[in-house]
Amino acid sequence: MASLTSALSIAMQALQAADGGLQVTNNNISNANTPGYTRQQVVLQETTPADNGDFVAGEGVTFVGYQSVRDELVMAQIQSQTSAQSGANASLASLQQIQPTFTTSTTDIGTEMSALFSSLSSLATDPTSSASRQAVLTAGQNLATAFNTASSTLTSQQATLNTQVSQDVTQINQLTQQIAALNPEIVEQNANNTVENGGALQDQQNQLIQQLSALTNVAITQTNNGVTISTGNGTALVVGPQSFALQTSAGSNGAEAVLDSNGNDITKTLTSGDLGGTIQTRDQAIGGLLTQLNTLANQFANAFNSVQASGYDQNGKPGQNFFTIPSAVSGSAAGIQMNITDPALLAASSDGTAGSDGNLANFAAVQKNALPSGQTPADAYSSIVYQVGSLTANANAESSGTTASLTQLNDQLNSVSGVSIDEESANLITYQNAYEAAARVISTIQALMTATMSMDTPG
Amino acid sequence: MRVTNMVPDIEYSMQQSQQALATAEMQVATGLRVNRPSDDPAAAANDTVSLAASANVDQFTSNVDALLPQLQTADSAISQVTSALNTAITLGTQGANGSITAAQRSSIATEVAGALTTVIAQANASYSGVYLFGGSASSTPPFVAASSTYNSVNGSAAHPLSASTALTAGSVTTISDAQTGDTFTFTAKAGDTIGALQTALATAVSAGTLTAGTTATINSSGHLSIATNSSTAGIVVSSNDAVLGSMSAASGTAVANTYAYVGNSTVNTAQVGDTLTVATNVAGNNLFTTGSNVIGALTGLISALQNNETSVQIGAATTAVSTALSSIGQQRVPLDNSISEMNSQESYLGQETVTLTTQQDNLVGANMAVAATNLAQAQTQNQAVLAVAAKVMPQTLLNYLSQPSA
Repeated sequence: MASLTSALSIAMQALQAADGGLQVTNNNISNANTPGYTRQQVVLQETTPADNGDFVAGEGVTFVGYQSVRDELVMAQIQSQTSAQSGANASLASLQQIQPTFTTSTTDIGTEMSALFSSLSSLATDPTSSASRQAVLTAGQNLATAFNTASSTLTSQQATLNTQVSQDVTQINQLTQQIAALNPEIVEQNANNTVENGGALQDQQNQLIQQLSALTNVAITQTNNGVTISTGNGTALVVGPQSFALQTSAGSNGAEAVLDSNGNDITKTLTSGDLGGTIQTRDQAIGGLLTQLNTLANQFANAFNSVQASGYDQNGKPGQNFFTIPSAVSGSAAGIQMNITDPALLAASSDGTAGSDGNLANFAAVQKNALPSGQTPADAYSSIVYQVGSLTANANAESSGTTASLTQLNDQLNSVSGVSIDEESANLITYQNAYEAAARVISTIQALMTATMSMDTPG
Repeated sequence: MRVTNMVPDIEYSMQQSQQALATAEMQVATGLRVNRPSDDPAAAANDTVSLAASANVDQFTSNVDALLPQLQTADSAISQVTSALNTAITLGTQGANGSITAAQRSSIATEVAGALTTVIAQANASYSGVYLFGGSASSTPPFVAASSTYNSVNGSAAHPLSASTALTAGSVTTISDAQTGDTFTFTAKAGDTIGALQTALATAVSAGTLTAGTTATINSSGHLSIATNSSTAGIVVSSNDAVLGSMSAASGTAVANTYAYVGNSTVNTAQVGDTLTVATNVAGNNLFTTGSNVIGALTGLISALQNNETSVQIGAATTAVSTALSSIGQQRVPLDNSISEMNSQESYLGQETVTLTTQQDNLVGANMAVAATNLAQAQTQNQAVLAVAAKVMPQTLLNYLSQPSA
């Protein structure tokens, strides 16, 4: 038969359970806006009832503990999408800065190239006019400057990205260290408390992994020693309590290469995250554009120089080079300059007489004929414009796409792990009521006990 | 699905809607659908090619505008030459009349000389400082009064030049012959002497470039003297050789009514279309000397009249002027063709500009009706998103719980 004392004990457990519920609700509300926080719920269990022989009486509730509500699969998807988004954003930010140089304006390469051909065509109407000759030299200078500006925009962007590579690697090393340090603590905590599901420590580690994913693409596996993290090509970053630092090393061209802890070059395997996006943009996107630009500058200048050489200047001498251009293709866009500064040195004449304009037709032909690259100068430039536009548009599309998908995934994660203030408010009332009810039971039992005590003392 | 926090979704929607609004506003404000290459990479790339074509068309139009007046000036000069020749033919016909006196013929000869002066003035016509009939030697008058003797500035009796005097390598000496209409050019090579020049000159005489009797000798004052013994035709000599110190006509040796062509036969061209080039000048020797022989015919007529030759001879000289007139009529055809080509090219280029502008508009321009509709839609959508945010965000259970109990 149940006693008042056991009833009091059941009520005490009920108080504890309500207290635990309030505690969890309080914690959830406090962390409603904490990044990376996973909501907790209280774990209650019906106390195993005592068998009294005749009947089985309920023994109340047992407060087991708190449990974090996680969805590992969605977390993993978020990490991978975060990598993709950061990579696209890194590319986009850089390409957006390059784009204005290749947008049609009064000073872009395409416009300056047209202006140079126009000035030569105009000179044909009056080949001895020194004003018209000067206009050709000015247009040539403007084109050289446009090439120089475009080249310096690209190389300075590469330099910025290079700095970013080193900064990213430093951050990755800090994060992997912190993640590794948390591993043994989480393992120990999970051993001691099977209910809690990692709790605050696991939240912290997940948050760090999330930051790491934003920097580079990583593969994550859970082991008995905690989380193991490796880069896309399998280079270990975190194993149990140990982290492996990446290093950077400047190559012969000044570009920072990324090396693993054994000194192997893993630059090319880093494909997403801020680091991956930065490297890809630096080496492939901008590297490719620079090659195209240098080829155009070099071949255009050489075509002009050979036309100059085939004609005669106003002094009747064979034409000197129109442009100064480095012999190597690389560095041509940065190095292109006007060679002649005296308008009389423009080789417009085809027969050595000062008034002949026979060689101007050969200059005009440069515009129509294919350069050694197989394209006319205007087509070669338009390919570069297409390339810049296409790279930027792709990065933009990827960035928007991953942002949309991340919004979706975060909604999904929040539906499992997020704190709902409304829900917590309702829970608060529930636990408050439960607590009040349990307290009422105690006060009732107390009254009954008092009544029981006072039975011996007749009034 | 459990919805815990609507703020991230609302933020995302606001972000999207504001981006759409910004894009729509940009298109309406600039009138362009493609403001950056990334807006439409293929269209932006094609636009650069189209703009290059437009720049060419604009330049071709400017070329036409610059050349038309120049060629029209040349054409009107030729018209005046034609009318001077007609006057000369009328005068020649009068002069051939057997009943007129020698004095009357002499006075007619003076009138014909006046016509020759008009022809020379027109042959030396220029436009904006460019001589129209000198070939590519367009900076000096192409027809120069000829003399029979030219002497070098350098050389003296005490220090005479000689056949062994070395010339400056690369220097050019030219002799333009009024009679043959040709020009002899001697470019000194390293080691060449005045002797080499003399030899080359003798070769040119045998080749017919220079009139027989043209010689280069060292005169008694020690100068190099280039002379012709023809009484009816003279020469014009020029040299940039420092050893000779240039050549100048000996005074009193001018040959009346003779002119030598010091231009060249180079014809310059300018582009006025992708595949259309027009000649920007006419070489004067074709029109006035070797080709039509306008000047020679007039000189012949003047001399026939002055010399009071027979009616038949004067008639023959007049016929030569008529032949020159019909020849110059043929020679001007290409010039007239160029002018009419340029006139039609100008209107073609005008159409081409419209075509290219339309192409560019199609490539990168915004369809304003669509852009304005997009803007209106984007505005409405943005307002809707903001209204939803305003409605949803303050909505929590606590609002209801905290209401004062009655």
